[in-house]
Amino acid sequence: MRLLHNYHYIVAMLLFCIGLYTVIVRRNIIKKLIGLNIMETSVFLFYISLGYLEGGIAPIRVGGADPSRMVNPIPQALILTGIVVAVSVTALALALVILLYRQYGTLDVDRLFRDEEVEEETAEEKEGTA
Amino acid sequence: MGAYRHFPILMITIPLLCAVLMPFLGYLRQKWVAWAALIPLASSTILGFLLIGKVPPDGYISYHLGNWAPPWGIEVRVDFMGLFLMLVVCCISFLALVFSRRYIEREVSGGRLTAYYVLFLLMSGAMLGFVATGDIFNLFVFMEILALSSYALVAITGNRNAVRAAFKYVLMGAPSSIMVLLAIGFLYSATGTLNMADLAGRIAESGYSEVLIVSFILFVIGFGVKAALFPLHMWLPDAHSIAPSPISALLSGLLVEVGAFAILRITFSVFTTSADNLMAGTLDAVSIFAAAAVLYGGIMAIMQKDLKMMIAYSTVSHIGYIFLGITAFTREGLAGAMYHMLDHGLAKACLFLCAGCFIYMKGYRRIDELKGAWRQMPWTCFAFALASISVIGIPPTAGFISKFYLIYGNFTSQRWPYALVLLVGAILAAVYCFRVIYYMFFQPGKEGAWEENTRDAAPSMLTPIWILSLGTLFFGVFSGLIIDSLLKAAQYLL
Amino acid sequence: MKRVVSLLFIAALLALLLYVVANMPPMGDPENPTNSSEVIKRYLNEAEEETHCENVITGIILNYRGYDTMGEVTVIFCALAAVLAVLGREKRGKIYAYADRSRVPSSAIVRTMVAFLVPFIILFSIYTILHGEISPGGGFQGGAIVGGSMIIFTTIFGLYESSQRIPQKLRAPLEGSAVITFFIVGILGMAGGGNFLTYAWPNIATNLQPSVVTWLTILVEIGIGLGGAMVLISILFSMIREEEEIAVAP
Repeated sequence: MRLLHNYHYIVAMLLFCIGLYTVIVRRNIIKKLIGLNIMETSVFLFYISLGYLEGGIAPIRVGGADPSRMVNPIPQALILTGIVVAVSVTALALALVILLYRQYGTLDVDRLFRDEEVEEETAEEKEGTA
Repeated sequence: MGAYRHFPILMITIPLLCAVLMPFLGYLRQKWVAWAALIPLASSTILGFLLIGKVPPDGYISYHLGNWAPPWGIEVRVDFMGLFLMLVVCCISFLALVFSRRYIEREVSGGRLTAYYVLFLLMSGAMLGFVATGDIFNLFVFMEILALSSYALVAITGNRNAVRAAFKYVLMGAPSSIMVLLAIGFLYSATGTLNMADLAGRIAESGYSEVLIVSFILFVIGFGVKAALFPLHMWLPDAHSIAPSPISALLSGLLVEVGAFAILRITFSVFTTSADNLMAGTLDAVSIFAAAAVLYGGIMAIMQKDLKMMIAYSTVSHIGYIFLGITAFTREGLAGAMYHMLDHGLAKACLFLCAGCFIYMKGYRRIDELKGAWRQMPWTCFAFALASISVIGIPPTAGFISKFYLIYGNFTSQRWPYALVLLVGAILAAVYCFRVIYYMFFQPGKEGAWEENTRDAAPSMLTPIWILSLGTLFFGVFSGLIIDSLLKAAQYLL
Repeated sequence: MKRVVSLLFIAALLALLLYVVANMPPMGDPENPTNSSEVIKRYLNEAEEETHCENVITGIILNYRGYDTMGEVTVIFCALAAVLAVLGREKRGKIYAYADRSRVPSSAIVRTMVAFLVPFIILFSIYTILHGEISPGGGFQGGAIVGGSMIIFTTIFGLYESSQRIPQKLRAPLEGSAVITFFIVGILGMAGGGNFLTYAWPNIATNLQPSVVTWLTILVEIGIGLGGAMVLISILFSMIREEEEIAVAP
């Protein structure tokens, strides 16, 4: 029964797995990055639900709000940090994607890495002929 | 309490601040950046040496940021092992920076040169902060600075293979960071605190053991990617062999070990031994994978043709050693693992810098191109040989001491199969190291490969190499300076 | 084959995670460990007196856990350094107007509206930055809003126009301002007799402390806002140049 009560967490875990699946299986590297962001968002959802309080109010002490009814502010503060970190990682990954696309002309992971094998084969052939 | 209580935080923040100031200097005079970048690392090193003796082996110094007492504020907690690793980080990154001044000018140019030094300083500072922190979320923050700067440093030359290796690293590293974040969330949900010492107390009496077990598993997977533990090591050979050599030295000599240290921290300072029934299964799995890593890394290293690739696979193998020491759960095993971080750091950094010398002087990457190299580059070759002896673990070097303690620690806890694996690993190391040494010293060079007038590398590159390789000898001969305190510190953790 | 294996792996992971969720403390319960620890009690009851922030979250991120935020600010600076190391800065002196190249130029309506709206968006971001202690908002949020407004502006008017408005000479010195502000506040705290990042200096009179804390908090907010905004804009600009080059290259 507790499983159903914690349905926010279930959604977060489902999103986490969807994101991980996208990162592992999808061949397009932009889609992989989107999967990464889904994973990150799922963890943010998980944290924010951790701080939830039944019938709680925002933790801002204006107009004599009652502190005992406020939701837990710590996960929100942590997730602010988490979001900034996620943005930074995404920015760097996109910069790498731009450079990869310029150098290889493709966004397909299989082609990016097949290219490597072809290069190695030609190098070995050259050795053989020499 | 003298002024020295501020030293740990200054050690961490000075490199970070100077990294931010570097662009201003680069705007004024590009040439000064390479020299100025040495200042923050040198001052961190000096502050670290001044702290020696202030931290007892069975204690710690704690620094409360913002004057908030620990469960409310963030704590920087430096214990003996932490200080030991911080000093290793400071010294090796300083030497790698000295080496890179000449080396990196050829691979990177213009505005990227400043970015290189900025990222280098950020990475060193983040490693120090990562080792010293006493707050589990803060650990995540520093891990991200470390990860971002290392992704960028792998790709900094901008050639196509480097960018691809960096992207592979991102694809493995970023999900692992998210797993660590999720694990922190689970831990927080079961205990309601983020301070490590506070967590240790609450985990023992928490009623949510399932949540804690899965949190531990996620921590091991997450930090396992950073530490390149065997099935999660796929990013390592590419990234370490393609990055510029000073960066390979940092990645291989420090970053991987810092990841292993995080698992040590999580195991012994957060999930303390009082809760070890929670972790027993996971740690058994880790030791099996670590044993597999020792064998796999050794065999793959023997099969490589590229010198840097060989050293990278050797790192995979040596990470297995460190994990076998951690999972032995004995005083000697833990002390051996810590000592192995020192000698592996010195020896691997030295090997990668020597490989850098060969690339810088002749552009040679393949092992068979090094035939007869010692006639023209004797200083580099002898340093390489000395470091290789430490990697194998032959007596006068530090590698012998750490391997002795690792094997001894595994024997005392009745884990003789793992002790056997460690011995086999040493034999494999002997095979791949002696092959290179044999080529260098006992084979005639190929026709035209080495002109008569080839000179050895410049003194500014040879000095750091020789300091590193003599360091492995020094810490082998005078191991008594540290190992007793490490044993005491290990006893304190257990 | 690879797909099947990864599906199985992920299904196993999902089962493990759902098993944990079934055993986790009930959500929203005041008695569960997260909501009943003494850490949060003190934050909620005393943050206003101790940090002089009515918004408890701002009090936590800037004061109680200020070191985390310092690390976070370093992370964005690190992201900027990384993007610049990979892509390089935008090139000055060349005209890369996106609207001119594209097959569908943005219409006069869009351009007028954007030119009209952007100043107001920036004004709103200044409000967000300065009111961080008493209402939702703060340095990061304000900086992100400025970054967003510049994204809109650049998409419509092109890189040349927007880099005229915020030239590199203005941006470059301000990019590190967040880290530098944190360091200054930290050192001031040490000079004031406390530890690093102490806002309420122990060495000064007690009745002066509240105003010092408030001013330092505002200083840090402004530093984060400026630094965050400049970093985001610089990342945006350095990425655009590359896209234009891709478009030009066959």
